[in-house]
Amino acid sequence: MNFEDVEERDGLRLSWNAWPATRIEATRTVVPISALYSPLKQREDLPPVLYDPVTCKPPCRAVLNPYCQIDVRGKLWICPFCLTRNSFPAHYKDISSTNMPAELYPKYTTIEYTLSRPAQTPPVFLYVVDTCLDVDELKALRDTLVVSLSLLPPYALVGLITFGTMASLHELGYEHCSKSYVFRGSKEYTPKQISDMLGLAGGSRGVVAPRPGMPPQQQMYGAARFLLPVSQVEFALTTILEGLKRDPWPVANDKRPLRCTGVALSVAVGLLETSFPNTGARIMLFAGGPCTEGPGMVVANELREPIRSHHDIDRDTVKHYKRAMKFYEGLAKRASAAGHAVDLLAGCLDQVGLLEMKSLANSTNGAMIISDRVVQGILELGFTAPFVFRLLQCFRIYFPGTDYAKATKELKISGMIGHGISANKKSGCVGETEIGIGGTSAWKIAALSPRTALAVYFEVVAGAAGGNAPTPMGPNARGLIQFVTHYQHSSGQMRLRVTTVARNFAEPGSPNLGMLFDQEAAAVLMARIAVFKAEIDDSPDVLRWLDRMLIRFCQKFAEYRKEDPSSFRLTDKFSIYPQFMFHLRRSQFLQVFNNSPDETAFYRHILDEEDVNNSLIMIQPTLMSYGLETPPEPVLLDSVSIKPDVILLLDTFFHILIFHGSTIAEWRKAGYADQEGYENIKALLEAPQTDAQDLLVDRLPIPRYIVCDQGGSQARFLLSKLNPSTTHVNMYGGGPGMGGGASGQAIFTDDVSLQVFMEHLKRLAVGAQTT
Amino acid sequence: GWYGANPSYPSNPLAGPPGQETYGAAAPGAGYGQPGVGALADQFSQMGMGGQKPFALYTTNLLQTPPDPLDLMKPPPEIRLPPGASATNSPYANADPSYTRCTLNAIPTTSSLLSKCKVPLALVITPHRSVPSTATNADGEPLAGVDPADEPVPIITDQVIPRCRRCRAYINPYVIFIDGGSRWKCIMCNVSNEVPAEYDWDRTTNTQIDRWSRPELNRSVVEFVAPTEYMVRPPQPPVYVFLLDVSPAAVQSGMLATATRTILENLSRIPNTDGRTKVAVIGFDAALYFFSLTAPANPAAPSAAQDEGEDGENAEPQPPQEEPEPEINMMVVSDLDDVYLPRPNDLLVNLSESRKPLESLLERINDMFASAIGGIPPGMQGAPQGPSAMGPALQAGYKMISPIGGKLIVLSASLPTLGAGTLKDRDDPKLFGTTKESNLLQPAVPFYKTFAIDCSRSQVSVDMFLFSSGYQDIATLSGLPRYTAGQTYFYPAFNAARSEDAIKFAHEFGEVLASPIGLEAVIRVRASRGLRMTSFNGNFFVRSTDLLSLASVPVDQTYTMEVVIEENLSVPFVVFQTGVLHTSCFGERRIRVVTIALPTTSSISEMYASVDQVALATVLCQRAVERSISHKLEDARDAVTNKLIDIMTAYRSSMTAGGAGAASQLAIADNMKMLPVLMLGLLKNTGIRASSTIPSDLRAYAQALLTSLPPQMVIPYIHPNFYSLVDMAPEAGTVGEHGIIMPMPLPLTSERLVRHGLFLIEDGQSMFLWIGRDAVPQLVQDVFGVERYDLLQSGKITLPLLDNDFNQRINAIIAKTREMRRGPYWPHLYLVKEDGEPALRQWALSMLIQDRSDQTPSYQQYLALLRDKVNGSGY
Ligand SMILES: [Zn+2]
Ligand SMILES: [Zn+2]
Repeated sequence: MNFEDVEERDGLRLSWNAWPATRIEATRTVVPISALYSPLKQREDLPPVLYDPVTCKPPCRAVLNPYCQIDVRGKLWICPFCLTRNSFPAHYKDISSTNMPAELYPKYTTIEYTLSRPAQTPPVFLYVVDTCLDVDELKALRDTLVVSLSLLPPYALVGLITFGTMASLHELGYEHCSKSYVFRGSKEYTPKQISDMLGLAGGSRGVVAPRPGMPPQQQMYGAARFLLPVSQVEFALTTILEGLKRDPWPVANDKRPLRCTGVALSVAVGLLETSFPNTGARIMLFAGGPCTEGPGMVVANELREPIRSHHDIDRDTVKHYKRAMKFYEGLAKRASAAGHAVDLLAGCLDQVGLLEMKSLANSTNGAMIISDRVVQGILELGFTAPFVFRLLQCFRIYFPGTDYAKATKELKISGMIGHGISANKKSGCVGETEIGIGGTSAWKIAALSPRTALAVYFEVVAGAAGGNAPTPMGPNARGLIQFVTHYQHSSGQMRLRVTTVARNFAEPGSPNLGMLFDQEAAAVLMARIAVFKAEIDDSPDVLRWLDRMLIRFCQKFAEYRKEDPSSFRLTDKFSIYPQFMFHLRRSQFLQVFNNSPDETAFYRHILDEEDVNNSLIMIQPTLMSYGLETPPEPVLLDSVSIKPDVILLLDTFFHILIFHGSTIAEWRKAGYADQEGYENIKALLEAPQTDAQDLLVDRLPIPRYIVCDQGGSQARFLLSKLNPSTTHVNMYGGGPGMGGGASGQAIFTDDVSLQVFMEHLKRLAVGAQTT
Repeated sequence: GWYGANPSYPSNPLAGPPGQETYGAAAPGAGYGQPGVGALADQFSQMGMGGQKPFALYTTNLLQTPPDPLDLMKPPPEIRLPPGASATNSPYANADPSYTRCTLNAIPTTSSLLSKCKVPLALVITPHRSVPSTATNADGEPLAGVDPADEPVPIITDQVIPRCRRCRAYINPYVIFIDGGSRWKCIMCNVSNEVPAEYDWDRTTNTQIDRWSRPELNRSVVEFVAPTEYMVRPPQPPVYVFLLDVSPAAVQSGMLATATRTILENLSRIPNTDGRTKVAVIGFDAALYFFSLTAPANPAAPSAAQDEGEDGENAEPQPPQEEPEPEINMMVVSDLDDVYLPRPNDLLVNLSESRKPLESLLERINDMFASAIGGIPPGMQGAPQGPSAMGPALQAGYKMISPIGGKLIVLSASLPTLGAGTLKDRDDPKLFGTTKESNLLQPAVPFYKTFAIDCSRSQVSVDMFLFSSGYQDIATLSGLPRYTAGQTYFYPAFNAARSEDAIKFAHEFGEVLASPIGLEAVIRVRASRGLRMTSFNGNFFVRSTDLLSLASVPVDQTYTMEVVIEENLSVPFVVFQTGVLHTSCFGERRIRVVTIALPTTSSISEMYASVDQVALATVLCQRAVERSISHKLEDARDAVTNKLIDIMTAYRSSMTAGGAGAASQLAIADNMKMLPVLMLGLLKNTGIRASSTIPSDLRAYAQALLTSLPPQMVIPYIHPNFYSLVDMAPEAGTVGEHGIIMPMPLPLTSERLVRHGLFLIEDGQSMFLWIGRDAVPQLVQDVFGVERYDLLQSGKITLPLLDNDFNQRINAIIAKTREMRRGPYWPHLYLVKEDGEPALRQWALSMLIQDRSDQTPSYQQYLALLRDKVNGSGY
């Protein structure tokens, strides 16, 4: 089985592609049966299915799929999930073995229905724009926003909130002059207050009953004043955006500008939840600094108060932290309940409070972006420029989705880790063990994109003591999982994507289990659990948990003689799994203290939305080496890979870095590339750049692009990612050097190297003394 | 200029010389204003060259002397100062009564004497009475023939302001120079002060000045330009914030459109000589609407480029651009708790710099809010009153200007129902005419008083223009103008679709906008030793015992105060001096000083002979209103009558011989003989009349007028003018030497009405053209251009201008009536048909105060009552 083919077809990677048949066996396999599922994986080859799906009787409601048994003569089908016999509906009367509907074709284990009921409203985009920016930044942002309008579908509704000391909601349809509703930045408004103050009583259509004896009113009421079709307000909105000025309130030298991000967001959430509940909407926050005013305040506006660090949070010395968390969590709850996504787009040299606000993006699958890039002296909140362009250009954002999973009775659902909230569907598929967002078999995701990847975890209940699920019998016994995703396509159609997967149960002791282990998927799925735990627990606890799981895993699947570390072997189906775990332990996802709390929130957010390949790059960055003599090749993410005469290209997903070895750096400085006769050097210098550009093309969020030389200050980005096989300790301290010995570069770290880590792992796995 | 020349009365022997004004308000005191040379010489002889003459007291029996309206046009009793009282013997050394007057023109030397005569001793001051712009030529020189009292007040610019070191009085015509002129003795406290060295020297020309030509030694009213010692801060610019009701009620009544158009049309008249005037507009209904008015940036201006940082480097010459549309931003604030401003700047803008966007806003604002309600034809009445956040709007305006001070001008067609200052419709007709009625005249909530105190402290003054078709609680709202030295204007059931309504409001509002205002003012009245001011009345806030604080000094408002005699007076005359320290609307700190000198007397008969009945009536009006609010309306009315009885009883016992025949007498000094009819008029005024049908808003408004109008206006307000137009003198309504000649006023009794006649009744606030039912068709045709009486429509009218002499004369008389008094008022003209609409007819007839009506006696009945009381108490 080629896992990537399956991923291509079904948008899905499973940790195990053969399933342990009993609960006990499943417990021993350590890594749960789990899927990283991209419900809207782009599929150009799906047939248009322009009818509603046939489903099993309630409460099962499983969707007809290729794994169903069909009785063409009796016009019946048997649901593989509940074994109920269902009659085909009348319009399936012509079904025969040669005339099958697409959903029954074996190749359409994933299929998409376009439902007959269209969406009630077009998608809504509400921009929430910080105006406490430097003049140049503001200009860059203004330009971005103006161009972004042309990327929105003309029928989409668009709105604008600007904020600084106060928050202003702009009435776009007002003909007489520019008009906005201004909210005090320091005050916490209830949803009802916001609705009353905006006169939203009329609802989204805003139709107010005409008073008797008066002609029908032309004036727009309710939310229709604030959210209008792009085609209708593009000019007006462009005018407003182009006229955007820096927040006019004076800022003293020892103060940060007053920035009421919290109030602005609560107005945005309030406006949308009142007027467009459960239809597709995105709130896009463009923030150039932290909230310093009113609810959601992250830091006081006194500059002498620094913004919190991980250490401050650890020591519980942050004044505003808990209140702000609570405030944004409350907003996130409301937004996600209404099915609205919140994007957090931050451009700031310092932090903006993503940590506090993260729940907004995390529970709505909003995008989260940080940019601290300075381009031509302009701090680009316009980082956003490329981002917004890409986000909107491809326009593969779909609105609010409910994704639900079901499984045959041997399996139960433990939970989901990804950017959504529980839809509180407590069906019979829900298991006792909770992983991530559990206790439900359905999740609400405010905005889905083709990139969205959800991690769904299962437990095996077959053979459990007291469990009534039967043990699968026979060598070909198989189980099924079905994912159903109901969403609003940006075209206005409502669609239903169904993916059904079937896998065999492995008899106890069968090698099938191990043969069909997807160690890459497993690493990513375990990483999500680890990060989920880290969000709740202290990182040391999480690291200990990870270690314990890894040791147990090795104990189960490695070949070794007891107490003999040198006998330890892992087959190639398992061999790189420990290495992923090593890098995960060292990654920014679990080692937070080298990053700001905002960065941590950002990295973790991205990890929870990407597919297997991207997630692996984040966990274990890739390193390419370019030399004059050798063709470009992937090399070990190890300090031994640093050589004076090679160029390294590091991709950490968040950073793309070109690193020139010292010799090459000198060539570069000497300008050989421009001289005749040195075409090879020119080509060498250009090759990694070309590759880097390829990586940059569709990476989202846009990675930070760094070009550096060996010994330069920027090189630290590379060094921090490399396995420290050559450290200042082992190179100069006379310790036992591993690998290349004399080559490579010493890295100043006390971290253990992969080699040391593996030695420990082997000893622990085989039960040898560790000292 | 609508101030015009003064009316003149043909065949009226008592009307005084031409140029003299009605009601004595502008009549030069002591007769020295007579312009003729002979009269002047005569005057000088009276002033002391000839020696002081005692007052001669003439007693009148009211029962046999019907009131003659012409008596009200006489000047007050002459002020007879001892010879040489003034240092310069200037004919203008004593104040004109239009600036200041006293109830007694001879001050009793002891307080027991004062209490014996029962006449209250009180001052009536109008320090910032308006001066007609027509009084001067283009160079500011007084025009010939202008009443000296109407001349502009002399400005003293050299900043030499000698003041008494003990009592702080300003140097004035009554000081005495001693020690060869090197010291001056204060007339008020007798202390001697040094004359400043520079007093006789002109620093600009470096020449000697003739001290005796200094205005402050020659004129009773002068204005000093104050040096910096008189400033707590640099002079503030004039600031106007318009708080506009933009609710459906305001739009549909046409108020909003008329108000914005009027502001627009008067932008150039708003005081702004030095270009510092600031203006803001705030709208309110259920929310507040702020407007930021950014003047279109000049793209070539380097400052703009710097501000924006755009195109800074490559500052290539810009191609000529079309003038951009001014940028207007409307900001809606619906959060009415603890009101805030949505922007730190651009809301209050410089009138000159932001003229364009301001005009653009004013042109559009009605459409903005009219389209919000849509579809209702303007002028359609009965638009439901929507919620109104007037209180929060006031707070917002206050917040905007409190660092500077200035004027909040509220224009509202609704009862405030949201946020601070919320009021309920508490008007209850069941209470009308009961002892509980005065509750309705008291403030319903403390907000407007406490807010007024904040305003006063921050030099913020509030004017209220009220337009509601329903109850608006003027009793409560008018508290704000009262304590902030503003004014309340009321346009009940305003409907701009009637051009008369629109014209009246636009005219009055325009006059208010154009009128010069003083800012950040304090008034203190000083007096000779032994006298003390107390019980202040008028629109201001009493900051400390005798210091009146006025955020702005509107023109033509009047203040009254009582004078207590604390020590026996041993001087031949006393001096009262009003000092008004204020910032002029062109950025100068100034002190206006008004000085009046009055002789003392120990003779009660001189006291009675010197009573100024107009001043006295003005004081009694204010007192009555005060009492109606603090006690009951009934108490106020009783107090008026009782005061009359007291005075007449005292007069009877001191001045007349009792005995046979006395019972058939009701004696009073001849110069006081109009007092009973004036008081009867007061008792019949809407402000305090016994009635069970007067809505409290109308009452409260009348009270606001009674307590702020100057004598020139308050007298007709309680004692209207009544003219017969059919049989007026042929020259009436034609232009005489001093403008339009008015007809002879008639006594206020319906006995004078005839069925074929045409009459004009006016009280300065309203005019009634009364037409008898037998009016001949020719008259109807001539005056109204309508064929017959029965085709005439009663109600508010604009008299057509027709091509016949009679029509033109009547039009001239109406025009003159509208412009002959100071103040912004533009009375409505109502056509009243004898058998027409009863309510209107009733209203017009209520002006004929000598008639008996429902609950009020006729003049004869009133006199009978007074006689019984006076004579009864005598035995
Ligand atoms: Zn089923
Ligand atoms: Zn003195």
